Amino acid sequence: MTRVWLPCGDYHEHYAKDHGWWQTNVIRGKMILLLLIVSVGFPLFFGGYWLGVANMIGYTALGALGVQLLIGYAGLITLGHAAFVAVGAYTSTLLVLRFPWPEAIVTWGLAYPISIIIAAIVAGLWSVLFGLPSAKVKGFYLILTTMAAQFITVDFILTQYVSRIGGRGQAFSLPPGTIKIGPWFIDSDLKVYFLMITLLTLTVLVMANLLRTRVGRAWVAIRDNDIAAETLGINIVWYKLLNFFVAGFIGGIAGAFWVSNCAALSPEHFPWSWSLWLVGVILIGGAGIDGAIFGSIFMVMVMEILQIIAIPLSEYWPIVFVNFAYVKDMAFGLAICAFLIYEPRGLSYRWWQVKNYFNLWPFSY
Amino acid sequence: MELFFMTLTTGIMVGGIYALVALGWVLIYKCSGVLNLAMGELTLFGAYVTLSFYTMGVPFVVSILCTLIIGIVLGILVERIFLDKLIGEPILAVIMVTVGLSFFFRGLIEFVWGTDTRVFTPAIFSLKPFTIGFLKISTVYFWSFVLAIVLFLVFVAFFKYTRWGLSMQATADDETAALSLGVSARFVYAASWAIAFMAAGVGGALLGNINGVNISIGYLGLLVLPAVVLGGLNSVPGAVVGGITIGVLQNFAGTYLDAFFPGGVKEIFPFAFMAIFLLFMPYGFWGWVKIERM
Repeated sequence: MTRVWLPCGDYHEHYAKDHGWWQTNVIRGKMILLLLIVSVGFPLFFGGYWLGVANMIGYTALGALGVQLLIGYAGLITLGHAAFVAVGAYTSTLLVLRFPWPEAIVTWGLAYPISIIIAAIVAGLWSVLFGLPSAKVKGFYLILTTMAAQFITVDFILTQYVSRIGGRGQAFSLPPGTIKIGPWFIDSDLKVYFLMITLLTLTVLVMANLLRTRVGRAWVAIRDNDIAAETLGINIVWYKLLNFFVAGFIGGIAGAFWVSNCAALSPEHFPWSWSLWLVGVILIGGAGIDGAIFGSIFMVMVMEILQIIAIPLSEYWPIVFVNFAYVKDMAFGLAICAFLIYEPRGLSYRWWQVKNYFNLWPFSY
Repeated sequence: MELFFMTLTTGIMVGGIYALVALGWVLIYKCSGVLNLAMGELTLFGAYVTLSFYTMGVPFVVSILCTLIIGIVLGILVERIFLDKLIGEPILAVIMVTVGLSFFFRGLIEFVWGTDTRVFTPAIFSLKPFTIGFLKISTVYFWSFVLAIVLFLVFVAFFKYTRWGLSMQATADDETAALSLGVSARFVYAASWAIAFMAAGVGGALLGNINGVNISIGYLGLLVLPAVVLGGLNSVPGAVVGGITIGVLQNFAGTYLDAFFPGGVKEIFPFAFMAIFLLFMPYGFWGWVKIERM
């Protein structure tokens, strides 16, 4: 499991230390520094636009973490994760807008936090429903089931029924000031950013710890060889469904978070291409939780850079800017293909290599 | 009762087109083991290319032939550039390359042709339906079906009687044995992609005649997935039966279930059906049951 070697001269003296999360004080210091940078440094030095980009990265990362749990840790390939993100988003929105909350809860600003939890649970259960065929099929057949989940949930149930609740058209509007946590209204990019950082940190902590338990090891065993896992006494159906639940749960959190970031919610936010996008992100990012986060940063940044390039180009060739969404699609498709062919282990593998190089420097043996 | 038969015939006719596209899909899977999720975009591509030729004043049949040729070239290119390097990689990698291709093609198509619905002008088939007995059949559906069947027979004959077709069959059956008999696997892979592009292209052109060409054709192209699941992933007759069944089921759902579930039940029903079908018969009617050992 240890993919990163310890620096020269560092040895573990106890097993507990070997299993420790942050194995040396340097690593602990680095992680605390990272937390400080993302929670204080980044918002101090970067303005509104880049905060919006960071929120997009966080949303992508939350979604991709769920996909990483399914594909990367249990080998259950999903191409319909946007459906569960959508379920989370819609549950949260409906709860915030329509549920008759007691007066006290609204004044204390608890409605949205409670709705996040309920949304996550509902999305998790919805995910289990479509995970049921995984008891019988795997690989390509499971892909088809998750695709069906996407089309049934987003294109049918959400578009045709849920969007019509309250006699409105396609979208639920969320005017600023609707979303309130405690005394704060989530109405600026900065506040959304802090919400994103909190949720992302919590999710990563919970997921990283979960993967170190019996449950996480069972998932990895199922991924590596499910028949062998079964002979070892792992109830594979139960653990697969649990994996679907947790992945859907994280997807639900992502969806509920997205609600705070957008002014109106409509099914177009969760197309099938968004599911594919999430899978692409973890393919580009590589294995592990850091893979999902690297992938999100990489993809969102590449799109931003493309946009920055496209703006001066548009003077000479306006069609590029008008049709920028399609250029994005093309770039994303090519990026997936290129990574799969030339860098199949993703960005996180390179990151480990760099870290190992410096950890072992100057004695690289 | 008349409604029932009308729905049935329309279903069979549309199903014929699905069957043609599904044939291309099964072919790729049989020959090279690639599960292709880009079929929708290939269909879309065919529709737009045919439309472009037709708008330039080329007769319809000639523009379909041109689409076929472009399909062959593109199929070989795609296989050579992307999929050739992935032989033997895990299933997810291969599937995701096709997903990447589908993103690329979709972006390219929308970039070049835009997203407005376009129609074949002047209309190729007359809008007036003709009647057989008490059945009213729309001309578009009828000729599309006929063309799909003709092409289908051409493909089947190609597999049965030509040297290339036979070598493809051999590779699909047992790759190692075929290689030792001097069949070039690389050639077969390229040929299977070329044929899939051709089938999808013609399917797209025909579907584009029915409701006009827009991005939803790509969605119709995705319907091959329920079709191939129904028939079994590696069965050519299964693709035909599956395609026609999906066409019929879809139209029945549109006619009879729409009253209960207003909205897009017609579009969604094949996928809902597929999800439930997979629970009970994951390998379809004629697919090979995969037996796994440690």
